[in-house]
Amino acid sequence: MNTNNNVYTVIYTTIIVVVVAAVLAFVSESLKGKQDANEKADTISQMLTAAQFGTKAEFQKMGNAAVLAKYAEEIARAFTVDTKGGKVADLPLDKVYSPSELKRQNYNIKGGQNVSGNPELPVFIFKNGITVVPVYGAGLWGPVWGYIAFGQDGKTIKGAYFDHESETAGLGAKIKDDPSFQAEFTGEQADFSSANVFDIVKGGSPKNADGSEVIDNKIDAITGATMTSKGLDAAIDTWLGAYARYFLAAAPAEESCCSEAEKSNTEED
Amino acid sequence: MEYLSLFVKSIFVDNMIFAYFLGMCSFLAVSKNVKTAAGLGVAVIFVLLVTLPINYLLNTYVLAPDALAEGVDLSFLSFIIFIAVIAAIVQVVEMVVEKFSPSLYSALGIFLPLIAVNCAILGGSLFMQQKDFLNVGESVVYALGSGIGWFLAIVSLAAIREKMSYSNVPAALKGLGITFITVGLMGIAFMTFMGISL
Amino acid sequence: MNAKLKETILNPIFKGNPITVLVLGICSSLAVTVTLKGALVMALSVIVVTGISSLILSLLRNTIPGRVRIIVQLVVVAMMVILVDQILKSFEATYAIDKQLSVYIGLIITNCIVMGRIEAFALGNTPWPSFLDGIANGAGYGIILLIVAFFRELLGSGTLFGFDILNRFGYVPNNLVILPPFALILLGCIVWVQRSIQKDLQEK
Repeated sequence: MNTNNNVYTVIYTTIIVVVVAAVLAFVSESLKGKQDANEKADTISQMLTAAQFGTKAEFQKMGNAAVLAKYAEEIARAFTVDTKGGKVADLPLDKVYSPSELKRQNYNIKGGQNVSGNPELPVFIFKNGITVVPVYGAGLWGPVWGYIAFGQDGKTIKGAYFDHESETAGLGAKIKDDPSFQAEFTGEQADFSSANVFDIVKGGSPKNADGSEVIDNKIDAITGATMTSKGLDAAIDTWLGAYARYFLAAAPAEESCCSEAEKSNTEED
Repeated sequence: MEYLSLFVKSIFVDNMIFAYFLGMCSFLAVSKNVKTAAGLGVAVIFVLLVTLPINYLLNTYVLAPDALAEGVDLSFLSFIIFIAVIAAIVQVVEMVVEKFSPSLYSALGIFLPLIAVNCAILGGSLFMQQKDFLNVGESVVYALGSGIGWFLAIVSLAAIREKMSYSNVPAALKGLGITFITVGLMGIAFMTFMGISL
Repeated sequence: MNAKLKETILNPIFKGNPITVLVLGICSSLAVTVTLKGALVMALSVIVVTGISSLILSLLRNTIPGRVRIIVQLVVVAMMVILVDQILKSFEATYAIDKQLSVYIGLIITNCIVMGRIEAFALGNTPWPSFLDGIANGAGYGIILLIVAFFRELLGSGTLFGFDILNRFGYVPNNLVILPPFALILLGCIVWVQRSIQKDLQEK
């Protein structure tokens, strides 16, 4: 058989491409439901980890159903805001924003392509008064995203969890794998009135005399992972910057609206 | 100004070889002398320049979520589409050059098929997807910059290797071994660009 | 097992090692060797992918049109890798494993070892030896990966597989070791050692 014949080449290539595309489309379509369920449980466990309800490893052991139940138990309300700080719409309590939805909102914030131009940024408020908001951006090899939990004053960070698609294991991947990096965020305060809401700086985060972190909006970057640290820093600045007006305007009001029980709850921490 | 900073950045700060270590296989294999290295470098620039804008358009108008129609997300196909576009372009370029400029073909010929598996090319497309470029112009400038960065890297390594052939290197380290170490040292030197923000 | 098959399996592991002799798959060996765990996951994935894609393309070898063979090869390899990723992603038990693997997907597709072995071996041989050649080359690649990762994790983080080894003795992790250029320098040293033992590989 003459395999160098033009007609044969074209037909062969077409068949291969069609077969491959069909197989991939079929697999992707038929498994999408299961994948989405896994992704949702994973996203929820990341938010719960950021809000300090447990560690990521604990949630992983619990299984999807238990994670969803825990979330339903703790979440108080969820809604979206725009960059002016105004509320856009209420979200159903079981609605979470997967990385692909965060990506779309990221386009909206930056005014890139495929955008409606009106960001709808999710805000998740838990029953103990903690507010969790997502961040999203580009790391070195792929997207990085995460969740930052704020206390009732609307600026003190109670916890953070970050994830990534393909950062280098042992370097950039530390944003997810190294609990001490995430722990650095706890207790720091975001500065919503400046353009640099939060900084990840190279070896320059101010320290107290005893070596503990000064409470400011700076933490140390990961050694050897300059690009990932930079990317995460930009992601945090972009997203928290978009939330700035919401936190500046709404946070004090939140306090007055909350019930006595919730207040006493937060004074403990 | 935007374009200029992107251009300079993609040559030096985001150098494909020394910052991301992409396209190492052909970088090491085809850097024995400056002439062939320059040939491969030019071919890489050309293929990046053609594939990046095409992949950019495909990514923006077909693959991105909601790009084709509301609710259609084809991003799971992006790897395979990018790779197919690159392989197709490489093949088309090979055929066109063979037909219209046999002299250029004989100079470049053997390097062209190699480029399809050069990670720097796929890497370029994937970074382009990451960087959220606003228009085709940016993707062209980025392609040109990273191609030139790759060209500079391979030509400078080839020059060093040509000089090194006169040096007294331990027998077991000659060739590949000392090249690995040289590239490592060049990489450390290039890291000084990393702190520069443009 | 006859001598030729044995040679097919043993050669890539030392004498014709894909990284130190054929100079294939360098990019990924730099990216994944910061930790032993990452290197192990990558090594296993590459063994599976080279084995299976060599098998499939060896079965197709007489039908592939010469001019588009690279497209066909890349498309088959990419399909394989994406399929594995999609399937692992859809089970609750394997979702966490997949998140580890998905990091390497791009690196596996463009890994020159996969393409190199298909071009050099699978397209000219029957399926069974091609499959073994793919597995063996994946293994030869994996061994180098693990050696490099061993030194980089031990010296760069003071740990092995995440367990503290050196730090308890007051070792301060060397940050240079976790940067990619050091992996190249280590590879250079491995080549040096290998060629001191095997003199016939030395270049003039």
